[in-house]
Amino acid sequence: MATQIVMDKTGDSRHEFDAADAAALADAERRFNELTGLGFTAAARTGSGQSELLRTFDPTAEETVFFPRLQGG
Amino acid sequence: MGYADLLATAAVPLGILLVACGIALVLYELVTGWRARRTNAERKAATLLKQWLTPAQLAQYETQGHFDVTGCHTGRRYRIRHGRQANIIELDARGGRLSAWCFGPEGELPTGDVLLAQKIALETDEFAAIGIANRSSHVFY
Repeated sequence: MATQIVMDKTGDSRHEFDAADAAALADAERRFNELTGLGFTAAARTGSGQSELLRTFDPTAEETVFFPRLQGG
Repeated sequence: MGYADLLATAAVPLGILLVACGIALVLYELVTGWRARRTNAERKAATLLKQWLTPAQLAQYETQGHFDVTGCHTGRRYRIRHGRQANIIELDARGGRLSAWCFGPEGELPTGDVLLAQKIALETDEFAAIGIANRSSHVFY
């Protein structure tokens, strides 16, 4: 199962999906596009402590985290 | 003064007292509920952060309350401290403190989420992160 983790005030909300299921994958892609369209940054975990920025939906990403737009503090 | 008179006289202050107790109880429930949700969110975010740190970063964070990351574009070293304001310190080659940087995700996120967003931003898109960050030469830590 792949997971999309969306940061929010509760910590995060998780959406699990089976990447082999075409409908679930389409849902995940729609969620990806919706969130990045809202300004969220998406990053996939690629190894132990390593991550990669995702500009487009990656159907092979096992774990993707989304965080809201960055701002100067 | 008869018993009935006494009761009538006390009815108003007693009513006020009961209403005040009710309001206090509701406020107490609201505050404790909010606090519990906040604690739960902080715990959840801390777990996520720890899962995304390298073993070295995790060890550093657990023993010292901060972890170091390397900027993907410049190779500069930044120290991310547990905190939310000006908690990123740029280090020189010998580990000296150069300046503080302040940026983070919008919204009311728990601290662990803020730290993870800062780590990912510096490690994967350093110029964009530094481009929006505020810099201070005063390092308070």
